[in-house]
Amino acid sequence: MYPFKKSAAILLSLLVISCGDKKTAKNTLADTLANKADLAGQTTPTSTKTILVFGDSLTAGYGLDDPSDAFPGVIKAKIDSLKLPYAVINSGVSGETSAGGLSRIDWVLKQKPDIFLLELGANDGLRGNSVAQTITNLQAIIDKVKAKYPDAKIILLGMQVPPSMGQQYVNDFKKMYPDLAAKNHIGLVPFLLENVGGITKLNQADGIHPNPTGAKIVAENVWKVLQPELH
Amino acid sequence: MSEPNQLEKPPLKLGWLFEMAWRDSRKNRSRLFLFISSIIFGIAAIVAIYSFGYNVKKDVDNQAATLIGADLSISASKPADESMMPLLNSLGDRRSQERSFASMIYFPKGDGTRLVQVRALQGEFPYYGTLETTPTAAGTDFKNGKKALVDQTLMLQFNAQVGDSIKVGNSTFLIAGILNKAPGQTGIASGIAPIVYIPLQYLDQTGLMQKGSRINYNYYYKYDHDVNVTKLVKGMETRLEKANLNYDTIDTRKENTGRSFEDLTRFLSLVGFIALLLGCVGVASAIHIYIREKIASIAIMRCLGVRSTQAFLIYLIQIISIGLIGSVIGAALGSGIEHLLPLVFKDFLPISVSTAISWMAIGQGILLGVVISVLFALLPLIAIRNISPLNTLRMSYENINLLRDPLRWLVYTLIVGFIVVFSYFQLSSWQASIFFTIGILVAFLILTLIAKLLMRLAKLVLSNSWSYLWRQGFANLYRPNNQTIILIVSIGLSTTFICTLFFIQSMLVKQVSISATTNSANMILFDIQTSQKKQLEALTAHYHLPVIQQVPVVTMRINKVNGKNATQVKKDTTIQLSPHVFSYEYRATYRDTIIPTEKVIDGTWKGTAVSGTEVPISIEDRYAKKNHLKLGDHIEFNVQGSPVQTVIASIRTVNWTKMQTNFLVVFPKGVLEDAPQFYAMLTHVPSKQVSAKYQQAVVKQFPNVSLIDLGQVLSVLDELLDKLGDIIKFMSAFSIITGIVVLIASVRISKYQRIQESVLLRTMGASRRQILTITALEYLFLGALSALTGTLIAFTGSWLLAKFSFDIPFSADVTPAAGIFLAITLLTITIGLLNSRGVLNKPPLEILRGDS
Repeated sequence: MYPFKKSAAILLSLLVISCGDKKTAKNTLADTLANKADLAGQTTPTSTKTILVFGDSLTAGYGLDDPSDAFPGVIKAKIDSLKLPYAVINSGVSGETSAGGLSRIDWVLKQKPDIFLLELGANDGLRGNSVAQTITNLQAIIDKVKAKYPDAKIILLGMQVPPSMGQQYVNDFKKMYPDLAAKNHIGLVPFLLENVGGITKLNQADGIHPNPTGAKIVAENVWKVLQPELH
Repeated sequence: MSEPNQLEKPPLKLGWLFEMAWRDSRKNRSRLFLFISSIIFGIAAIVAIYSFGYNVKKDVDNQAATLIGADLSISASKPADESMMPLLNSLGDRRSQERSFASMIYFPKGDGTRLVQVRALQGEFPYYGTLETTPTAAGTDFKNGKKALVDQTLMLQFNAQVGDSIKVGNSTFLIAGILNKAPGQTGIASGIAPIVYIPLQYLDQTGLMQKGSRINYNYYYKYDHDVNVTKLVKGMETRLEKANLNYDTIDTRKENTGRSFEDLTRFLSLVGFIALLLGCVGVASAIHIYIREKIASIAIMRCLGVRSTQAFLIYLIQIISIGLIGSVIGAALGSGIEHLLPLVFKDFLPISVSTAISWMAIGQGILLGVVISVLFALLPLIAIRNISPLNTLRMSYENINLLRDPLRWLVYTLIVGFIVVFSYFQLSSWQASIFFTIGILVAFLILTLIAKLLMRLAKLVLSNSWSYLWRQGFANLYRPNNQTIILIVSIGLSTTFICTLFFIQSMLVKQVSISATTNSANMILFDIQTSQKKQLEALTAHYHLPVIQQVPVVTMRINKVNGKNATQVKKDTTIQLSPHVFSYEYRATYRDTIIPTEKVIDGTWKGTAVSGTEVPISIEDRYAKKNHLKLGDHIEFNVQGSPVQTVIASIRTVNWTKMQTNFLVVFPKGVLEDAPQFYAMLTHVPSKQVSAKYQQAVVKQFPNVSLIDLGQVLSVLDELLDKLGDIIKFMSAFSIITGIVVLIASVRISKYQRIQESVLLRTMGASRRQILTITALEYLFLGALSALTGTLIAFTGSWLLAKFSFDIPFSADVTPAAGIFLAITLLTITIGLLNSRGVLNKPPLEILRGDS
């Protein structure tokens, strides 16, 4: 029998309302689409094409004062300066796991993406979810996009978990992205946080989420793979 | 006896004054004891509560220390800077280090992997509390070899036994023991990932410390001598902050643990304060009646040539002596009680309370006793100076108004000043103490007014048509030598204090403990996808667990408020709205009713949305106030890509103390059903075994669902909070009993005033029954009226205290208040009747002779 107390209840309340439990607060949490609406308003006349970034807190820009400092925002700025006819939609939700993404994908696919960036899995990894399960979910998301918009180009953004999680798990997790990309013949950014992850001065105090400087490098990692697809 | 011509001259002859004080007391020793007893009880109460409270606080502090396990802990998410090492190595007399991180560990036997929180420990940590393990010795022994301590739920989940092994990183560790409880294990993180302890010296071998690894570095310090850690840390705060080091002391942890500790401290000082006031009431009424009885003797002395100053001094000396004797006995009794209580109630006491003699409390008690005696005696004493020899002849001393000396204002000021100063020492805030004093003055005035009204009313309504007994009983209320004012004030004030304590106590206890019934949840599951909802319900039912609550949660953000977006709001300084509302990520729910723990305080709740119109939503009161959101504000939410136009239709308060999912924003039905959402579910697991089995099943079938066993997370904290609740109950019961004792004493004091009357009535032929009825009627009026007034004042007082001092919602049950009212009325009557017993059981003549 566990007696329950005020603080427990408050903890719980916080947890659900703000999703402020330590894990989600630290690891994930999304800013959704605060800047998306702006973007949509300014840059989606019917003739432009759409880049949809579907992801978690890294996409949403968790912890940043201005969510448009997150890597989709940086990419958008770059596209604007190059006067390319693309709108970038940030569809990141903090704390999102691959399972969460799977149940959200139908809602998001109401709009047609020309390029679909898939950035999920990091939260599965930090929660220690089984890699097989994550693969199944990511595959299902890819299948749904392909089924609804066969023309859309899909780019998978790869992630890694910290070495402290244990070698076996770290390796399985790392291998998942290239395997998925090869199997589905889609684009791959091998490691989204290349040259950013684990570097203190490029991350926020939580050590997980990139700061604006880090986000620029993240955007650069993505840009290398994305640019050839832009017309 | 004395020579008048000598007395005409100064000096006052101190020796003679003392002798007189002594002689005067001789005749009244027996009744003097009664007066002293009131002081004794008052002071005993103060001393006992002081030292008991002091000890309880100390013991609770020690318990709180197990929340952190050391005097000071410093943590960082990366290795500390070289420049910080000298500081880190200089702190504390004993030091421990720990590295903690999340990792997947492998159980070779069950062939299973699970995310855990690995804690690599070196040193004697914990310094407070222990790593509670099975077998017990494992808690310290595991550091001697390549051994690990594994959380008990984890052991159950993998069917592991002590002696099995686990693989952490590349190394295999022998499971030395099952970890049942660890200090500092109160963070919610430990609920998500169960803890595994390994010795720090084997960490490198695991190969888990690499570039990119997320490791927390913890340093624990213990001081063997008395050090003010809070002060110490303050001194290096900026240095620590600069180096990105966080610190935790017992004090900061207590603060974070919630307000329970603060409430306890405040409650203890309130108890001390009220004990003092009860003591004052007892002492003051005793002294008052004593002096009034002395008027005749004083008048006679004046006839014999004693100067008024001398008469004043004689009684002052007497009072000081009485006060001193009473206080010393009281202090001794108080310490005795304080020592006896834990022995007698050992099994009932929530924690083992140490019983150190608190000389501080004793000294304070004695000083207080004397000061209170003198202060409250001064009021009638200054009147002594006005007693003229003529009073002997007239023998109608009721005509002297004891309170018509201009000096009395000085005494009043002194008394008020004393209460303010003393309450300052109790509450350590001038503002609070002034408010308290005003409150008491108001209560005092109300009671005096009620008493005066009663006297006037009794005079008015008394008619000859009533039976003799009723007339006598009623008339006693206003006749000369009545006790109406003094008893109403003292009984009324005592009732007020007792009732207030009772109310506050039950409010605090309610606040601290939410009972563990099967209705209260202790496990939360979230990230349940819509497709998994039904299956999970079935699984939960399969384990015979209740689904206490299952709510949809939709994540959203605010685009615009009243047509303005974040940038526009930031620029427009005329808008009060906090920009914070735009950066916040809302986890909202939708339903068609408000739940019982919510209350709409403004606007109207609308349960369904009408399509084509703005969606009527409900916002939580405090959040709305903090961010300047008002009823009727138009908010455009961005529900993961779709803008939803809403209007704030209602503001509601939420009882956050309830163990359930609460929300800042609630949508009506008919809008968010199709939006991406997940479910949160609450259930109650009856035992650790069931919890483990259920968790295992959930993890297997729904790998994405996160699950937090709050019972496990909060067991340390819960126990402590439980105890706090018990301490609060115990302390208030203790002081309420003291209050009753003081009450008894102050009614007993009136005994001698009534004896003569009763004797006269008996000589005139009154029967036992008649005298009893008269007395019972008089005390019924006094008791009932003062208890009623006191209860009502207590209601107001508790409300004010709850609102301004404790900041908790006010709730007072009428039933216990009615109980207190009845009890005090009955008590007053009973004591009053007991007072007359002495008269009734003896022949009148015996008393008449014996008395004069």
